[in-house]
Parts: sequence; structure tokens; C-alpha cells
Amino acid sequence: MYGKRKLTALAAVAAFSLSLALSACGGGTTAATTQPTALPTAVPTTVPTALPSMPGTAGGEFGPACATIPKDPANPGSLEMMAQQPVATAAAANPQLSTLAAAIQAGELGDTLNNAEAVTVFAPTNEAFTKIPKADLDKVLADKELLKKILTYHVVDGKTAPDALAGTHKTLEGQDITVTGSGTEFKVNDTAMIVCGNIQTRNGVVYLVDSVLMPPS
Amino acid sequence: MRRLIRPALSGLLAAAGGIATAELVASLVRPESSPLVAIGGTVIDATPTPVKEYAVATFGTYDKPLLIGTILIVLAALAAAVGVLAVHHRTAALLAIGALGLVGAAAALTRPTARPLDALPALLAGAVSAGLLAWLAPKAATAPPPPSPAPEAPGAANPAGSDTVPAAGSGSPAAAGPAGPAAATPAGRAGRRSFLIAAGLVALGTALAGGLAAIIRRSGTQAADDARDAITLPAPTDPGPPPLVTPGFYTPNQDFYRVDIALTVPRVDPRQWTLQITGMVDKPVELTFDDLLKQPLIQRDITLNCVSNEVGGPYVGNARWLGVPLAPLLRAAGVQAGADQIVARAADGITIGTPVATVLDGRDAMLAIAMNGQPLPLEHGFPVRMITPGLYGYVGAAKWITALELSTFSSFDAYWVQRGWGATGPVKTASRIDRPKAFAQLPAGTVTVAGVAWAQHRGISAVEVQVDDTPWQQAKLLPVPSTDTWVQWTWDWPATAAGSHTLRVRAIDGTGAVQTEQRAEPFPDGATGWQTLVVTVT
Repeated sequence: MYGKRKLTALAAVAAFSLSLALSACGGGTTAATTQPTALPTAVPTTVPTALPSMPGTAGGEFGPACATIPKDPANPGSLEMMAQQPVATAAAANPQLSTLAAAIQAGELGDTLNNAEAVTVFAPTNEAFTKIPKADLDKVLADKELLKKILTYHVVDGKTAPDALAGTHKTLEGQDITVTGSGTEFKVNDTAMIVCGNIQTRNGVVYLVDSVLMPPS
Repeated sequence: MRRLIRPALSGLLAAAGGIATAELVASLVRPESSPLVAIGGTVIDATPTPVKEYAVATFGTYDKPLLIGTILIVLAALAAAVGVLAVHHRTAALLAIGALGLVGAAAALTRPTARPLDALPALLAGAVSAGLLAWLAPKAATAPPPPSPAPEAPGAANPAGSDTVPAAGSGSPAAAGPAGPAAATPAGRAGRRSFLIAAGLVALGTALAGGLAAIIRRSGTQAADDARDAITLPAPTDPGPPPLVTPGFYTPNQDFYRVDIALTVPRVDPRQWTLQITGMVDKPVELTFDDLLKQPLIQRDITLNCVSNEVGGPYVGNARWLGVPLAPLLRAAGVQAGADQIVARAADGITIGTPVATVLDGRDAMLAIAMNGQPLPLEHGFPVRMITPGLYGYVGAAKWITALELSTFSSFDAYWVQRGWGATGPVKTASRIDRPKAFAQLPAGTVTVAGVAWAQHRGISAVEVQVDDTPWQQAKLLPVPSTDTWVQWTWDWPATAAGSHTLRVRAIDGTGAVQTEQRAEPFPDGATGWQTLVVTVT
């Protein structure tokens, strides 16, 4: 008896699964005439976003300061939105990086960062900049060459994943930085803590650091 | 709980049978008319953009199956509930199914590309489901309890119906327990057998209808691909200037940027395709793909760019398009006085609004059928897309186009305009450095700086490059066939001073206007500013 009931249940489930399969192979999609396809999927956003480089998806970030990143996926500073924007635009949208964004603008590095093929950016937070005496900071912001030198010392060619983070990296400024640590705890040049790491942007990965890195020479 | 199993199954089976019927009919009539597709589309349209973004970011390409799965789960829950409802309130249950059918029909009819017949599958789904439920429900409730005097045919108002099922499962609290004593009676067995047979028949019918629909649908999908492969492009009546041989002037189709809202690429069978020119016209027109191929065709090189492109960004490309000039088609239809907007409707559900005056001002606005010598690639709008030189794609270049409706800007906001983007979207003068690469390390010596500049339909008269704060230098412009394409430029930089340098570029358009230095974000009507590029000479 129970077996028969189970059979009936199976029949109903099968009938529904079939409807499901139908919709899956019959273009159960938004667009009216769509059919299933192996072609890549576009991403509708508040800004029309293009397809060719599928944006990185949020996830995999680590560190205490990640908690302060806006949670609303519609917020331009959220991990979801940052993942779809080129690195300088993404940084400019993040409230923790507003000083850095201003510095990037003053150094005229935004376009270059945005159009770089792939970069890793060690991004000093606003708090990191407050550790520099105001007079010194103003002097740096006014000296474009010095500013470019300092900022490019925070950028490494290529996307560096957390498991490849520890070690010595040649920066775009030309001199090396050294990352020590493992897991989710890293320090750069023994001075700057990575407070939120592995933030994805369209063309770069961002590690927030709590101190500005200074080129040795 | 057990007393509810058979009524719930009745509801599920009835709904499954209805949906399978709808899918079968939709596959025969028009795939777009599937109620599931229509409801899915309606749900997506109603979903706030941030949630959509989140869904795409979180579920990736699984977002669509997940949506349809969710719709089916909700439908299944509703169907089961309706099945249970039918035990006591047959009429109410049938009305509920009718209402669901009407919801599906309404969804199908309110899709952007809807036609009246699109309501048919959903209405049939409702009718078939209701019929199946009316047939199954009495059998689901026929197991007669010994004490009940009225076991048969419980009507909507017959309270005896409520007594019939509990008997079948009474004395057994656990759903997986053995059948109750009542079920063991001959009448109980007969009732169960009758239900099982009916349920089996419905399941079988559902499977057959669904399988058939799947086969038809698959052949339809294949049809679009096959039809594209089979197209022989007619020779252009007006071939335009000969193609340029400069490397990089044309963007290969596979490298051409793609910005659209289609979560999956629409596959339109050109043999089923028609274009309607409607709205504020004297003589509405409907054209088939073959009609279009018989029109005089022009071939033009036109650069297309996206309004969301950042300064120096990648969303610009140049291609050789083959198409039907749009202005004569509109004139033949007779554009009425006051119509200032052409609303293009497309198979992906988007609407794109183009100024009538722009299309009629003599420029080569066209309905393109080929790109760089190939029928339009599926992702670039096969079978037909619009191209309007001088306008950003979001106002002038609808893909998978199905209808052109003459309208006014004051009465209708197109898709991106509803989202705050500018209504008319003329291209802003822009220039880009493609060589050297960002942060390049360059050996001292002569460095070729090269890139593109564009101001479609105004043309580019000059491009200038600046190194650090030194004077602007004239770049050399390569030849172009018209003002509608980008211009490739080069400049030889005597890069002798070691160290970091900032390169800067600006263009002067055909009217003599210098590209603005003022920085603007892409939103709401296109980015501006001179692109800079930092490199190091070693």
C-alpha cells in the first residue's frame, strides 16, 4: 500500500521535474525569445556593464576591516559593485579609501590603474593616512612626482591571490615590498597590517593596509 | 497529514499536466508565449536592480534555472494547496486554478514583445489543470470510511467529503506507517486503485506532452543556428568606400564589446522573425527577413561605443556593417507630425529610444544584418540590429530588434532613460591611448605612442599628445573612410629622460571643438576628460 502511494508521489514528482526540465531546455529565461545557450551571461547593472571581461565576483575577502565595507550590493562601495568596476573607480567608491582616491587623482594615476591589464593594489585606508603628519601629507599631495612614486610603490603587476601573497614582490615603482604572514594575517614591510584582503575588482585585487608604505629610496 | 497526500498529489498532477500542455502549445505557437518564461521575465523586470546584481554575482549563470526553479516550487506549493482546497471547496479550487491561468496569460500579454495569441498557452494550462483536477479530486477523496453515509462524489458544499479521507489514514500517526484499516476495505482499495490509475494516466500524459515540447523546442533552438549558418548575404547595392587595410581599424566580431541586459543570448529564427513599424505612422509596416534582404543594402564602416565606457575604457569598436537604410523605411511608413522618438523593441525585452530627427537627417542609420562580412553574431543581435552613427549604443543600436514604434520623448521613456540615463545620447568626443600599455617600462629611445579617437558623425580633425607638462604635440592621423568611424593616430615620442612620465591625449572634432578636459563619470550621458597614462622610461 505504502509502496503504491510512494509510486504515486514519484509520478507527481516526475511530472513536475519534467516541467522543470522543459523550462530549462525551453528557454525558461527573462528574454522572450531566448533559448538556453552556452554563451556567456551578461550582467545587468545600474550602469550598463559590458561582457567581454566577466567581472570578478565578490567573496573570498578576509580581515577585520572587511566588516566596515558597505553591505548593500547596490552601494557603489560594496564588494559586489567593486567587483564590477576597474580598480581605481572601485577604490574611489569605497568610503575607507577616500584619501587614497584623492591621492590617485592628484597623481593622475586613475586612468592608468583602470586600464592596467591586472594589478594588485595595497590600498592604505583613510586611517593609514592619518598616521602621517598633516604637513607631510599635504607636501606629498602637492608634489606629483613624489606622489606617483609613493603610490606606484603600493602596486604590483598581476593579480596576487592570498596564497601567493607571502614573499617579495617588485612594485611598479621599481623597488620591492615584502609580505610576511599566512592564512588571514599578513604584514607588508613589517609595518602595515593587511586589514581587509582579497577584494576583487574588474582588473585588480585590493588589500587594504593600515599604514602607508614608504619606498626605501 | 496523510489524509492530505492524495488531494495534494491531485493538485500537483493537475498543475503539471496543465504546464506541460502550455509548454507543448507554446513550443508550437511561439516559444515566448510559455507562461513560465513570461512569468520569469515579469519577475525579473520587477526585481530591483541591486537584487539582480546580487543574484548574478552570487549564483552566476545559475541565476536563471534558480529563478525558474523557484517559480516552479511556488507553483507546486500553490497546486498542492489547491488540490487540498478541492476536497472541501471544489468550486473555489477550480476558480483558483482559473485565476492562476489568468495570471500566466496576463504575464504573457504584458511582455514587451507580446502578441495576442501569447495568452493561449497560459489559458490552456488553466483549463487543462482545472479539468484534470475536477477529474482527479473525487478519486483522491473516494476512500469510503465505514461510518460515512455519503462517501461518493463530495461536492464543494458537501461536508461529507471531509470525512472520507481521514478514514483512509486513520490510526496511523506516522506518514510512513502502514495503511489504516479503512484502506484495507474493498471499497478503499478500489478507490485507491482508481486514483492510482488516473494519476498514472495524468503523469504519462504530462510526460508525453512535456517530452514532445522539449523535442520541438530543441529543434527550434537549432533552427536559429542553422538558419544563421544558411544565410547567404546579398551584395550591397551601395558598397561604400573600399575596406581599409590598416591593422586594428576593424574590431573582429569576437573581440567586439558586448553590453546588454540579456541574461541569455536571444536566439531568433529569421524565418519566424518580423519587424513591425507601428505607432505614429500613416501605414504600419510588417517586414519579414526576406523582405529586408530584398531592400537596397548599404555597406558602411561605423564605430559603435557604449555610454558606460570610462575614460580610456574598452567599450568601443569599429565594424563594417551591411544593412537596410532606415530613413526610407520610415518615410514609406509615413512618420506622423509630432513623432520625435523611435522606440525600438527587442527580443531581450529592452526598449531603446532614438530621435527621429537624427535618423532622418541623412546619416547612415540602418537596420544591420551583417557585421564584418558575417551575418550578425547571435550576441550582437542576430538577425537584425539597429546602428545609428553618432549615438551611443543605448540610444541608437538596439539588438535582436523586433519592432519600431514611432512615439514621442514626452510620452515614453526607454529602458535606460527610465534608469536615469540621458534621453538623446549623442557621442562625446573622446580619445584613447592604446600603446604603450599602462605602467609600461620602456627603454630610452623613440617610443611610438598610438591609439584611437572618435566623435562619430562629426569626425576627428586632430589628435594631440602631451608628455608631463611639456607642450602638446600633433599626432599623425591615419586615413578614414568617413566621419562615422574612429581615427587611428600615432606619435613618435623621443623618450630620452629616464624616469616616470605621464602621457595625456586629447582630440579635436570635425567642428573644431576641443575634447573637454572636464572629468565626468559615464552616468548619465557619457564620460569626459583627457586620458592619462603613466609609464617609466628606463
